[in-house]
Amino acid sequence: MKDVFRVQRMWRPRAKLRRRYDVVIVGGGAHGLATAYYLAKTHGITDVAVLEKSYIGSGAAGRNTTIIRANYRTPQGAEFYKESLRLYEGLSVELDFNLLFSQQGHLTLAHSDRGLITATERAEVNQLLGIDSRLVYPDEIAGLCPEINLSQDATWPIVGALYHPPGGIIRHDAVVWGYARGADRGGVEIHPYTEVTGIERSNGRVTGVRTNRGEVEADVVISCTAGWSTLVCDLAGVPLPITTHILQAFVTEPIKPFLDVIIVSSQMHVYISQTDRGEILIGAEIEPYTTYKGQSTFPFVEYSARHTLELFPQLEPVKVLRQWTGLCDLSPDYSPILGETEVENFHVSAGWGTYGFKAAPIVGTTLAELVATGRTPKLIAPFALERFYTDTLVSELAAAAVSH
Amino acid sequence: MRLGPRPGERIDRSDEVTFTFRGKPVKAFGGDTIGSALFASGQRIFSRSFKYHRPRGLLCCSGHCPNCMMTVDGEPNVRVCVEPVREGARVKPQNVRWWLNWDLMAVTDKIGGPFTPVGFYYRTMIRPRRAWPLFERFLRSAAGLGRVDKHAGRKRRFDTENRHVDVLVIGGGRSGVEAARQAQIRGEDVVLVDEGPEPVERLGFPVLWPARAIGIYEGNLVPVEAGSTLVRFRAKHIVVATGALEQPLLFPGNDLVGVMLPGGARRMIELWSLRPGRRAVVLAGDDRALALAGELEAAGTEVVRVVDLRREQLREIEAWGRYGRLESVSLDGETIACDLLLASGARQPAYSLLAQAGARVEYDAKRGIFVPADLPDGIEAVGAVTGRVGRVAVTPATFNGASRTDKCFACICEDVTDKDMKRAIAEGFDSLELAKRYTTVTMGPCQGKLCHLPSIRLYARETETDEATIGTTTARPPWAPVSLGLLAGRPHEPAKRTSMHDRHKDLGARMMWTGAWRRPHSYGDPEAEAKVVHDSLGLIDVSTLGKLLVRGPDAAAFLERLYPNRFADLKVDRIRYGVLGTDGGRVMDDGTIARLDEELFYVTTTSTGANTVIEWFDWWNAVWGFGVETTNVTGALAAVNLAGPNSRELLGRLTDLDVSNEALKYLDAKRAQVAGVPCLVLRIGFVGELGYELHFPSPHAEYLWDTLLGEGADLGIRPFGLEAQRILRLEKQHILVGQDTDSESNPLEAGMPWLVKWEKDDFVGKWALEHVRERGPREQLVGFELAEGLGSVPAEGGQIVVDGKPGGRVTSARWSPQLGRPIGLAWVPSRLAHEGAEITIKMNGGFEQGRVRLKPFFDPDGGQLRS
Ligand SMILES: Cc1cc2nc3c(=O)[nH]c(=O)nc-3n(C[C@H](O)[C@H](O)[C@H](O)COP(=O)(O)OP(=O)(O)OC[C@H]3O[C@@H](n4cnc5c(N)ncnc54)[C@H](O)[C@@H]3O)c2cc1C
Ligand code: FES
Repeated sequence: MKDVFRVQRMWRPRAKLRRRYDVVIVGGGAHGLATAYYLAKTHGITDVAVLEKSYIGSGAAGRNTTIIRANYRTPQGAEFYKESLRLYEGLSVELDFNLLFSQQGHLTLAHSDRGLITATERAEVNQLLGIDSRLVYPDEIAGLCPEINLSQDATWPIVGALYHPPGGIIRHDAVVWGYARGADRGGVEIHPYTEVTGIERSNGRVTGVRTNRGEVEADVVISCTAGWSTLVCDLAGVPLPITTHILQAFVTEPIKPFLDVIIVSSQMHVYISQTDRGEILIGAEIEPYTTYKGQSTFPFVEYSARHTLELFPQLEPVKVLRQWTGLCDLSPDYSPILGETEVENFHVSAGWGTYGFKAAPIVGTTLAELVATGRTPKLIAPFALERFYTDTLVSELAAAAVSH
Repeated sequence: MRLGPRPGERIDRSDEVTFTFRGKPVKAFGGDTIGSALFASGQRIFSRSFKYHRPRGLLCCSGHCPNCMMTVDGEPNVRVCVEPVREGARVKPQNVRWWLNWDLMAVTDKIGGPFTPVGFYYRTMIRPRRAWPLFERFLRSAAGLGRVDKHAGRKRRFDTENRHVDVLVIGGGRSGVEAARQAQIRGEDVVLVDEGPEPVERLGFPVLWPARAIGIYEGNLVPVEAGSTLVRFRAKHIVVATGALEQPLLFPGNDLVGVMLPGGARRMIELWSLRPGRRAVVLAGDDRALALAGELEAAGTEVVRVVDLRREQLREIEAWGRYGRLESVSLDGETIACDLLLASGARQPAYSLLAQAGARVEYDAKRGIFVPADLPDGIEAVGAVTGRVGRVAVTPATFNGASRTDKCFACICEDVTDKDMKRAIAEGFDSLELAKRYTTVTMGPCQGKLCHLPSIRLYARETETDEATIGTTTARPPWAPVSLGLLAGRPHEPAKRTSMHDRHKDLGARMMWTGAWRRPHSYGDPEAEAKVVHDSLGLIDVSTLGKLLVRGPDAAAFLERLYPNRFADLKVDRIRYGVLGTDGGRVMDDGTIARLDEELFYVTTTSTGANTVIEWFDWWNAVWGFGVETTNVTGALAAVNLAGPNSRELLGRLTDLDVSNEALKYLDAKRAQVAGVPCLVLRIGFVGELGYELHFPSPHAEYLWDTLLGEGADLGIRPFGLEAQRILRLEKQHILVGQDTDSESNPLEAGMPWLVKWEKDDFVGKWALEHVRERGPREQLVGFELAEGLGSVPAEGGQIVVDGKPGGRVTSARWSPQLGRPIGLAWVPSRLAHEGAEITIKMNGGFEQGRVRLKPFFDPDGGQLRS
């Protein structure tokens, strides 16, 4: 308990940027900080700098709707996210920081036969891989979420759902801060307000980066820049098959406990949860146009509100408090791009679309392992950038698009 | 305490209204708000705070703070100070255990304990891991303000309106009204909106009041909440005249009931003729607040002390109270008894709307406020919002003395104290955004209106920088909380019905949902329906198919380039099946294409695909610069499929068209009158039997449906539903795009390599498909069957297991009455994609063996179709 009252610094004050590090990580979101943390903790690689152009967690890490789950569709995806979920379950204890991981359970609604088929497929794949995931029908849904509108007279009546009990939401900033603190304690330097403006190469190998605070040499450079991935990888001459879109979300004023399970409806392009603070958190699918302009739109709140009330008419009087946007780096097959690139020692974590937050621990673990051992861990091999040359895509559209 | 009648008051003393508060009747006048009436009835504590459950009273009387939120008629978090009274309204306090004046949860304020320091929840309840769900339940129940009625449905009616104006003025103060008047003089179409509670001077131009601009969005879209109507304004020019907001001062006890913003007290007197207190102390930051002293006296409040903060430098302020209510204040050590303390520092321009629209915000050190700069085109700011707030006091960050005993709040919504802010900085949250996220200051219901500036000022002092360096946080819409009901509008989500919908219902069809469409699943017995199609004659409504006309001199070349197969050589009156691919060579949609004349094609799509296909066509049409016109006729035309051995006989009876096999061949398209209805007759056969699709104007649908059923009675005709169609098409191994294919499927692996005409110069996705051809197939879509004796059918979506792992999947499966066994389609690894290969399917909680079948189960050579 005494810990609570003693003021302890989370991390050291900002330091001078040195001229050389073994490893430079671009991007101080969840992935960059997790990678730094595991480099130091698991592999003792501590001469590491995380360069972040704004404050840590300023990107998607601090804007996302924090759904964490493993019930993906492809075996490659499901296995990968399953491991991440497992790491998340132990993360508060590991980081000694309460991340407020709320494993409320996750319901992906099916509104049609087709929806049921997708749900079945995911449940079947999940079960074969030991992931707690199954199909439920309206009578059971009524027990899990008594508030939801199960009327068969709706435009999109609920005919079933994919139920994933360990799915949950988490406090996103806490994940960022917890990893940052852990990395800092491990000796990693975190440099906010440090923007990478160039990536140096020689003989097909990365040698360092240029920043707004001067040049820095490095043996290894890792881009963990999510929505900015194509821009940063371009600096290294690595083209990525990624488009950047915005995703929007909003919260309502806090209300007393109302919803104890996460509700996702791809058909209605909406997902809904209630945070531990009491806010109802609502999101949708990405905007179809590509942009870096983070301006919120009004049609988004209108149609999301309409769909939310289809599912929860009782929320009619609840008030929207704040809406915002974040960038999403979308790959063609809705799976990430992870690991080595054609530039030696320049690694990427990209292609996270609307679903990358849940992957932070496993991305950190595997990228750190890649740096430490020089070998691509088996779990992330299917997600290599190379797959776009060999046409071995990993199709997660059905499980990732709106489900996050 | 109600005063005698005053000129200009908003209440109508002749109009008595009664509502209930905690079940007890409260008398009010027309023109009162629930808040003013409650105050008049003696109520002083209006809410309990978010975290410490401290008593809170009226503060701003303008709907901008969290202090007066109550639940009214089941609607949580209503700012009662601006909520007009309604006869019979039921008002309840919220976020209290027991009663406003006696809240059990207030112990959190008194004893402190682990639940006090900022961010305590990040540091506690970590171990043991198993206990966290219990802690969490406690946390969740403590959080949140109002409660929603879990069993309520939608209650209110909301409407939406669109309006285009030359000028929209937001804010009805003096400068807003002046701007509107000028616009009117210029002859422009102008509307002024104002959120209240002060009335707006009416000068002849249209005014919406009370009406609140929710935000300024792209393209000068300004949604306005006007009662139950959402008005979406599009204005050529927007004038923002939102004024400035009084900012609270930071001192211990600054949240006691009785500590108010001067404007709040002024509104009490002027609008509702209330005496805000008995003995008042005024700490004025500007002339307006200073002038209030006189008004207070006139209202019978004794003003015991007035401090002009611009002249008199106070160092320490501390407010004292009992049971949360103000009893005295000490100013630099001098204690003054009072029950009303009116205190404000700066008047901060209410620039949020401007910032949302893209304006920059900069710090004006001289006046100690943030002001908007660099306004975007088409947006103007007038009055106080520009920073013209008169001479104001630049107050210190806090007025805390060393001997303080009470908390000093920087943010009353979230109960964040100055100590919390200091602590956050000391812990390393050393940028405003980080500190905001850690302490949650500015993230509560007031959206920073009352805490943004004070917290930045505090932050500047603690980090020994200045406000200009720190800057502001991003302004995010909406300007003030707005209900989901208003945003959602009318509770409607259009569902689609075909023009034969009522006939299906009359026939007792079991309806099912396919996308937005309602379709008959069956009319009772799907297997029997399927059998009828094989044996005699079936009729199905296929109006949901997407239907497009593609017209123009380039139409043939256009389709030739879009599809992997040939269309340029398609003869007039002939039909060809086509699969539409993405530029990545993936299957996107499929359907039949009939050439009606040299320059006109009739394209059908899947039921859910019409919109996507149209967009796709239009996109490529624009990219290639073809002169092609596409028209979506999905709703205009209805369609039925007449299928079965007797279909020719029936069609022949109803048309003059020569329907012989020679004259109307398989894949012929002819225009003809059928039963007097102009039809496009397509001889195709999705279900495998001889069949004709009739497409015709939907107004004739019921008539034609009835006629076909009537005239075909002796031929054994029966309507069949989607379920029978699925069985039949599966027997034929016809795929359903989107069910049997996914976003990565290509036609080569999906069993349709014959579709791809490699010799064509180019088509969308050719390059990608060449790659697939080069690498060879990896997995393929194949037919399969299970042993005859097996009663159950594998689930669609079920897994093909290879070496204990997911290796493929069943996409479609049905029991075939024709074959007497389960059949289906599945994706399997290529090495298993040969006739007779054995596959293992996860089903029935175990595994079953199936066999791959590459040819259609029914009529493998298509003889039936062609005869
Ligand atoms: C609204 C929204 C909702 C979402 N919901 C979910 C969800 O429910 N579940 C889920 O799993 N995922 C979700 N996501 C996706 C998820 O947030 C992201 O995929 C994930 O956070 C990306 O990893 P990150 O945290 O490392 O990225 P970020 O936090 O975006 O980190 C990238 C960082 O790189 C920095 N950077 C960029 N360029 C440079 C440069 N040149 N130099 C230095 N630094 C640079 C940026 O400032 C940024 O901080 C959502 C995303 C959004 C926007
Ligand atoms: S007193 Fe009602 S909102 Fe401030």
